[in-house]
Amino acid sequence: MEAITKPDIPPGTLHMLILKTLARLGSMHGYGVALHIQQTSDNVLQVEEGSLYPALQRMLIKGWVSAEWKQSENNRRARYYHLTPEGRKRLALELTGYRQVTGAIARVIEAV
Amino acid sequence: MIPLFRRLQFLFNRRRFDDDLEEELRDHLRRKAADTGIDPRRQFGNVTLVKEESRRMWTWNYLEQLLQDIRYAFRAMSANRLFTAMAALSLALGIGANTAIYSFMDAVMLRALPVQDPSSLVIFNWRAKGEAPIVQDHWGSSYSEPGGGITSPNYPYPAFQLLKTHTDVLESLFGHANGGRLDVVYNGVAELADGQLVTGDYFPGLRVPAALGRIIGPDDDRPGAPPVVMITYDYWRSRFASDPNVPGKSVNLNGKPFTIIGVAAPNFYGVSPASKPHIFIPISDIGLIKPDQDWAAGFNQGTYYWIELMGRLKPGVTMQQAEARLAGPFHNFVLSTATKDRERADLPVLWLQEGGSGVDAMRRQYSEPLWILLGMAGLILLIACANIANLLLSRASSRRREMAVRLSLGAGRFRIIRQLLTESILLAMLGAAAGIGVAALGIRLLATWMGNGEDLPIAVGIDWRVLTFTLIAALTTGILFGLAPALEATKVDTTRALKETRSSEAHARTRLWGLRFGLSHILVIAQIALSLLLVVAAALFVRTLSNLHSISLGFNAENILIFHLDASKAGYSDAALKHFYEDVETRLQRLPGVRAATTTNLPMVSGWSDSTSITVPGIPQPPEGQRGPNTSYVQIGSTFFDTMEIPILLGRPTGKGDVEGAQLVAVVNQVFVDKYFKGTDPIGRHFTFGGNKGADVEIVGVARNARYASLKRDIPPVTYAPWSQANKNRMVREMYFELRAAGDPLALANSVRQVVREASPLVPVAGLTTQVQRIDQTISQERTFAKLCTWFGGLALLMACIGLYGTMAYAVARRTGEIGIRMALGAERTRIVWMVLREVFSLTSFGIVVGFAAVYVAIRIVRSQPELAKKLFFGLQPTDPLALSISVAILLGCALLAGFLPAHRASRIDPIVALRHE
Repeated sequence: MEAITKPDIPPGTLHMLILKTLARLGSMHGYGVALHIQQTSDNVLQVEEGSLYPALQRMLIKGWVSAEWKQSENNRRARYYHLTPEGRKRLALELTGYRQVTGAIARVIEAV
Repeated sequence: MIPLFRRLQFLFNRRRFDDDLEEELRDHLRRKAADTGIDPRRQFGNVTLVKEESRRMWTWNYLEQLLQDIRYAFRAMSANRLFTAMAALSLALGIGANTAIYSFMDAVMLRALPVQDPSSLVIFNWRAKGEAPIVQDHWGSSYSEPGGGITSPNYPYPAFQLLKTHTDVLESLFGHANGGRLDVVYNGVAELADGQLVTGDYFPGLRVPAALGRIIGPDDDRPGAPPVVMITYDYWRSRFASDPNVPGKSVNLNGKPFTIIGVAAPNFYGVSPASKPHIFIPISDIGLIKPDQDWAAGFNQGTYYWIELMGRLKPGVTMQQAEARLAGPFHNFVLSTATKDRERADLPVLWLQEGGSGVDAMRRQYSEPLWILLGMAGLILLIACANIANLLLSRASSRRREMAVRLSLGAGRFRIIRQLLTESILLAMLGAAAGIGVAALGIRLLATWMGNGEDLPIAVGIDWRVLTFTLIAALTTGILFGLAPALEATKVDTTRALKETRSSEAHARTRLWGLRFGLSHILVIAQIALSLLLVVAAALFVRTLSNLHSISLGFNAENILIFHLDASKAGYSDAALKHFYEDVETRLQRLPGVRAATTTNLPMVSGWSDSTSITVPGIPQPPEGQRGPNTSYVQIGSTFFDTMEIPILLGRPTGKGDVEGAQLVAVVNQVFVDKYFKGTDPIGRHFTFGGNKGADVEIVGVARNARYASLKRDIPPVTYAPWSQANKNRMVREMYFELRAAGDPLALANSVRQVVREASPLVPVAGLTTQVQRIDQTISQERTFAKLCTWFGGLALLMACIGLYGTMAYAVARRTGEIGIRMALGAERTRIVWMVLREVFSLTSFGIVVGFAAVYVAIRIVRSQPELAKKLFFGLQPTDPLALSISVAILLGCALLAGFLPAHRASRIDPIVALRHE
């Protein structure tokens, strides 16, 4: 029997999670995004750096987010990401898709 | 579109993007460390991998990584220049040599004629068991068959007319004959050009169109038709400056006016790859350009064999069917011309040969040598590939640690394999590029060597098919031997590979005769074995050449300039011709820098000979069909013996006093005397020159033996007869002049031209060369062979040494630690050198032993074909002990020299540095 210790983030949802987080926080650096996801999910969802940064880069290319260097709390430079209008549209799209899928999955599982 | 724009931005600002990412990740780690208190680097895992992954989002992966790989490969190559140079050089030589030789072979032997449907063309030949006595007059060529008997492409004209009627198997039948050198006068300028006589069906039958004007047709090849000619495209461009109005212009050939009617299609040079005529003349006009013969009789004479035939088969008819159909009529024809039983006993038999590649005089001459050369070039390519393999292998193992480092730093395995492959392929391409250069150069060298400095009458270009083939061979080697170690290297257990010291590296080795051989050792042994084969070949051919050169000529060939004139084509004849040549001879003798000058009707030791049967009183004529007394002869000027420095042993030389109308006199050589006047005083004796109705000749002198036509063959009986006594109808038409210069003979060329121009502006000087060159031409094949083989042998040796050097240098590098320890423990430098050299010696010895097995097999093959052996070697056996021992000595010496460098470096290792190194 395999123990499920730390479930992976379901494939395809990382972009949505990041976009949602940025939508909520407005502007945040990579570490902040990861931390927020982890805390909000009660430590269930752990965003690995190895997938976070490639995902952020990808979203930069797509134009869903933009990034700028800003002074952070303790006077350090950090790279802050925020949503672009395109990113907002994308988030809405992904959320709709997600809800449809989870709804469908739920119906399949709950059906006797 | 917008993402594309961003990607482009990335490409041009990658440094900034990299820096951003780097800083961002560092910031991330710091925050994480502050929050969790764990050493971030352990948690975070592979920073490089994250960076690599993040960066990948931005790039057009493949293209960009490829560029990166290539950039990196170039960096790696320039970091290891010696390796790169050696590998690329081996490849370039291997690819270049093969391409050059194959291109050459293709042009000479394999290329199809540039005519429509060449595969339906057939060449007519006949063969006979013996000398074919029915062939009373023969103008052309005959070749001795391997199993005895002769074969020849020349037919009587009536046979041509007869065979032409068999239209059930032949769509067309056409003939051609050599038109010889023509004196061409156009717009008042005289020049020499080569002519080809063709029948009326020649161009229509070959289906060669005219590029300009019209082709020669059956109506032009009729007695009484206005004399017309066609010219080749090249000749039209060079001599007539591509003048579109050339058709219709008049040109003088050997003093007779002809009308140019057309220019042949480009690339058409007649049907023989060996000759490149400029002008095509209807065969019915032969009497105009060769007025010295009764052609009306020649055309009708059934026993005069001269015209070469070629036919185009009817669609659906095979060559065998045509041969079966035509052999009978030809047999009946030949039988009808026979008058004696002796002739009927050995009649020519018709046989056909595929004609798609044209007539094969050159193929006969060059095919065997070229195949042998191609074999050698193949060996060179093999050695080159072994070299690449070896170099790549040894480099791969020296990069194991580098690979392990890169893997543990997060490089993907596929990525590393691709990187190594890129390097191999780049190397192969570098070699190929250089190989194209080598091929182009090689073709030019080959053409010069084969053509003896004269223009070879064939067009040779780089054969791209061969180039592609050799390129693929090189690439495959590169990929195979680049990939195998790459796979191996990326499989390494990184931790172990990093911990490993250089000296404890594991090596796959094969046990053989109690010795341990790595793959690279086996490759080196193979290289040395192959090299031995080539070096032995080189030694044998060089010895052959030196044997030929050390042959005593019997005359002094140094500083002699040769050229020839044919004043008969400028209209001189009879007494005027004789006087003209005497005049030129006298003028030349007065030229400053000329010590002596003479004339002959043919140059000495040039492969050309005249011979005739003679009748000597007291020597009975042999029974019919057997060869009786005969002599080779040359017609000479009055100062021949002085100029050539041939001593007169008895009597007197011929001279100015021997004039037309007086008793015919001659000087003969010692062989002549020994054969026909043994034990008597030959001076004053007479013999009849030239058969029954020949002339009576008195011997006035005996000359010391001198080589006549050939270096290789025994000196025949020779008669030296003064042409001053020739009766006017038999006067020499084309005269050779020999000038003994005080210095460099070729320096006289311009003054010679000046002198001849003063004598007559209408007679062009032709064939300016030296006696030494003339002789060299007769052994051109041996010379070309010796040169190329020496080259190949040297090349093979060089590459084997490179391989050996690479292997040993790598071995020394690998054993730096061990050698350091040895030296720290007190080993002397010389001992270290010997240690390395011992390995070199044992590798080389193994190679030589294996090589000898190969040499043995090769020698057996050559010996099983005595004809071939006789053609290839002169004055020695293929088992020549001197050549064999020299080869072994050279190979061993070079190998030790190649091994000495790494050995020396090993002995220079500083033990402290070496030990700290680990």
